[in-house]
Amino acid sequence: MSVGTETETPTLGYARAINQALAEEMRREERVWMLGQDVGKMGGVFGVTRGLYDEFGAGRVRDTSLNETFIVGAAVGAAMAGTIPVAELQFADFMMIAGDEVFHKMAKWRYMHGGKLSVPMVLRLPTGVLGGVGAEHSQSLEALGMHFPGLKVVLPATPADAKGLLKTAIRDSNPVLFFEHKGMYRVKGPVPTDPEFLVPFGEAAVRRGGQHLTVVATGLMVPRALEAAAALAADGIELEVIDPRTLVPLDMETIVASVERTGRALVVQEAVRTAGAGAEIAARIQEAAFFALDAPVWRLGALDTPVPQSPVLEQLVIPSTDQITAAARELVKL
Amino acid sequence: MSTRTKRGPDAGGEIGDSELLDLYRNVSRIRALELLLNRYIEEHGFGGFWHPGLGQEGIQAGAVSALRSDDYLFYAHRGLGYALAKGMSPVTLLADLFGRTPGSVGGKGGGTVHFVDPEIGVMGQGGTVGSSFVLGAGVGISAQMLGTDKVVAIFFGDGSSARGTFHEAALTASVWKLPLVWICENNGWAISVPIAEQSPTENIADRAAAYGVPGVIVDGQDTLAVRAATEEAVARARAGEGPTLIEAKTLRVRGHFEGDKQAYREDLVDGLDVPRDPLKILRERVPAETADRIDEEARAEADAALEEVLAMPTGGEDVVTQGVWV
Repeated sequence: MSVGTETETPTLGYARAINQALAEEMRREERVWMLGQDVGKMGGVFGVTRGLYDEFGAGRVRDTSLNETFIVGAAVGAAMAGTIPVAELQFADFMMIAGDEVFHKMAKWRYMHGGKLSVPMVLRLPTGVLGGVGAEHSQSLEALGMHFPGLKVVLPATPADAKGLLKTAIRDSNPVLFFEHKGMYRVKGPVPTDPEFLVPFGEAAVRRGGQHLTVVATGLMVPRALEAAAALAADGIELEVIDPRTLVPLDMETIVASVERTGRALVVQEAVRTAGAGAEIAARIQEAAFFALDAPVWRLGALDTPVPQSPVLEQLVIPSTDQITAAARELVKL
Repeated sequence: MSTRTKRGPDAGGEIGDSELLDLYRNVSRIRALELLLNRYIEEHGFGGFWHPGLGQEGIQAGAVSALRSDDYLFYAHRGLGYALAKGMSPVTLLADLFGRTPGSVGGKGGGTVHFVDPEIGVMGQGGTVGSSFVLGAGVGISAQMLGTDKVVAIFFGDGSSARGTFHEAALTASVWKLPLVWICENNGWAISVPIAEQSPTENIADRAAAYGVPGVIVDGQDTLAVRAATEEAVARARAGEGPTLIEAKTLRVRGHFEGDKQAYREDLVDGLDVPRDPLKILRERVPAETADRIDEEARAEADAALEEVLAMPTGGEDVVTQGVWV
């Protein structure tokens, strides 16, 4: 599934894996550079870009003002004129502040200009709940990216994928929204050191095999779905857990093949349940595999409320491992 | 650094004879296209929106004449003059305007569209006015990082001067000394609202002081004055000294779009007469016979271009899905 020779796989945190991807790509290609608030000497509010300023200098690791339309818009302009910017918004929620730049300029500029220009850039977007950062800093907005043709949408759930997908994103000639889960920055896992380790877009990962129910989960919901699968295995219920990894392009082939075997599907996302990526995946499953289904396709997602700031309350809003376990247990009986 | 707004250089600065004729030719070519489109739309109507730039030709031709052919251009939405002066052909521009596939955007446009020619730095236009402030700044970053001395000219109107994108771009562009020239065509109207009702100060160029960049006011009807002010700003940008904000005072002859009855307006009769006409002002510097010949050639070029374009095909389903991805 992954390209390159994986000779060594030391354990690394998700944030460090992203940092390593940035450093490797900036070493490989001089035209790759970064901009964002506090990405320089501070190394980012989450510490993701730590050390890069020292290695690459102020010209390639640029601290901006508090000006999101500039951060994204300047990245689009720079990309059209021969460099490869990796822009960071401090929180994915801030896409709204730079809405014209993200959803119009980044997504459409090439198309509007008859394919004469290209926008090879990555927009890094710390996403999801973290613990007490509130309604305007905790959202999961990846579905927005799917709704604007022209944007690729990436949502890694492991440190290795965070690294390999970011490297692929930087090498892609199209604009990419890279949603990195800020609640997973400290999650550790094996991360290949081969500088040519790339994770291709549009190839889902089957995280666990099983014959009773297909669970399609993204981001933070992947580890929770795997915990649910482990709990249910004790009762003889085997879940197949699929992580699409990229939502645009979306690997429906792997998902549909799985559903054709299991006859059942549960789609789990951290975003609000209504009109999310899960709704799209559920719709496509029934379009492609209706006659293989033994039960309706179910969705789990956040409650249709804003995310409350209280760390206790925010966990009540998004799907828990127990909720995934309970839903799966019920769905296999239908 | 002085941040007080200053008057731009007066007209009549140094310009060679052949450069003067080139400049006159471009003003005349832009005028010919403006009048041709006005006539065509009156007679035949038009599928899209056309935002005429009649009366603003001197700014477009004058400022662009201060650029090198490899400098970048973000044009504004009133007229074809910016791109024509930068070197795009009238056939290509009209093909875009009429949605024909040989146009620069391959048939996707229609009305005032998104001409593009990266080979000569024409970087396109957004549908949302004022969006080129941040994009243009980014182009300037690449120009700087790649070690070129290219400059980015960004045209905009008094209406889009209100956008927050100007503030966000200007702040960082000034700190980073990006090679930008902002050219505001202040025609006094943001669609239907006069500038006095939108701006607490008379001059948009005065805002330059807040960003620590020079603010320059120039007579937008005087093509040579616009050219001279832009030359100074371009030299400054090319030398790594950062952006300049030029405000060219002009006027809006026609409506927001062709067909706009301008019922909100009392200061102008609906016509084609241009007060303080930039073409006539520049004409005083050119021998009459030469000017007559250039005007005639410009009209012939515009007429021939339109005839050629109207025979071109529009796009079909294949065009709709092209160009989303690399």
